[in-house]
Amino acid sequence: MVLTLIDSIGTRVLGAIELAGDFAVLAGRTFAAIFKRPFDGKNLMNQFQAVGVNSIPVVVLTSLAVSMVFAVQLAFGFRQFQAEGLASQVEGLAIVRELGPVITGLMLSGRIGSAMAAELGTMQVTEQIDALECLATDPIHYLFVPRLLAAIVVVPLLTVASIYVGFWGGYLILVGVEGQSAFVYSSEFYKLLAFRDVRIALIKALVFGMIIALVGCWKGYRTSGGAEGVGNAPTSSVVTSSLWILISDFFLTKLLLV
Amino acid sequence: MALIDVVSLSKAFGQKVVLSNVNLQVQEGESLVVLGGSGTGKTVLLRTIMGLLTPDSGHVAIEGKIIAQLNRKELFEVRQSIGMCFQMAALFDSMTVFENVAFGLRRHLEITEAEVQTRVEECLSMVGMKGTDKLKPAELSGGMKRRVGFARAIALKPKILLFDEPTTGLDPVMTDVIGRVILDLKQELGVTTITITHDLKSAFEIADRIALLFHGEVIACETPAEFKVNPHPVIQQFLRGDAEGPFLEDPPPPKHRTQEAHP
Repeated sequence: MVLTLIDSIGTRVLGAIELAGDFAVLAGRTFAAIFKRPFDGKNLMNQFQAVGVNSIPVVVLTSLAVSMVFAVQLAFGFRQFQAEGLASQVEGLAIVRELGPVITGLMLSGRIGSAMAAELGTMQVTEQIDALECLATDPIHYLFVPRLLAAIVVVPLLTVASIYVGFWGGYLILVGVEGQSAFVYSSEFYKLLAFRDVRIALIKALVFGMIIALVGCWKGYRTSGGAEGVGNAPTSSVVTSSLWILISDFFLTKLLLV
Repeated sequence: MALIDVVSLSKAFGQKVVLSNVNLQVQEGESLVVLGGSGTGKTVLLRTIMGLLTPDSGHVAIEGKIIAQLNRKELFEVRQSIGMCFQMAALFDSMTVFENVAFGLRRHLEITEAEVQTRVEECLSMVGMKGTDKLKPAELSGGMKRRVGFARAIALKPKILLFDEPTTGLDPVMTDVIGRVILDLKQELGVTTITITHDLKSAFEIADRIALLFHGEVIACETPAEFKVNPHPVIQQFLRGDAEGPFLEDPPPPKHRTQEAHP
């Protein structure tokens, strides 16, 4: 009984280490392949289109909704202490430091991470990745690198867009509904913030972009088992990357705020 | 020296031994057809030759270079001299027929777009697929996909062509068309080919030598004429296409009696 339990735990731990090692090797190969030739500009532009331009609506809508809800909660909470003026300051702090990058990261892990896993998974089970190998093309260079580059450029840009939209979401509620002065809101929004906070937000977004692209590609590349495998790859990718976004957010915040 | 040299090749997946001490030599310009039942390791043999799988023991050498010992750069150089035609074509479904055939040309050759265009048209006309360059793989039938796959494989003018069950799942007419295309490619390009097929008619048309894989081992590798008269019971059963005999591990179900005696 005890031996079976130890055996089962040991198998799971070894399995987890093996998975982590496989991910680390593929991630390392991806970074090493970034500067290899040939450079495929068209492929990269396609990824910018898929990852970036097509994600704008979902990021804008989510940021608007979250910032508006947060403003409603803040206005209600601070009204209890007759401190409504603090609502815009806290709104600014929360959106720039946390909500902007994290909401963007989570939404993109669902939108682009899952798409990457599904696309590469389908390519894997239909032998298209083997066909790339046979055409003397490194799948890591051809498939992983453009997706990684697109994600690490686009996720920070979309985070900036999310922060901008978040400002206007708070404005709609605190100025439009709660009746605060537009001038006061605009100046108070940035009062508790420093340039460091924007830098932290962008660093977080960059790391989230790496996580989304690498996990999505990795899950797709390692797909096996036909249609069932292709079905599981996006789900697994979204769960894994969302988890790592939240975990890395904690450590990045602790590290970068020191 | 043989162009393709398979030496004492063994490969197992877990407990299942797929290839056991396989030895094959294919000379330059020769056409070898590999026959065998489903699951006897024919595809594993081709994938090992391409370096997609690593052998457990033994090796595959192409022009004297042992595939498993090459680094990625050297392996890619060798692969540029081999064209692989997949069972289900494995066309890139996000690309058009033209982009599929042009893929290797654009990545490996420093040639102008006009030269790419000329070569793609040449390859497509060789397989009887001229005028389909703007179509997506989803708009093609099974036989058309295979032929576009052939065009993509020959685009870089390889020395070796590998065909993995090119006629499986096709109607008899299309099977004959594919057989003729392979024969034409062999004669026009003078390439060395290894073809895996179940279709005996095209196998005897294409082959200079025929090998039969049985339980992971090559039990015969000889000219079509010799193969036909080989007395080995497995070969004779395979040629007859009969369920009765030593070919199957499990005994087949009894034949259904169609005419019962009525009282």
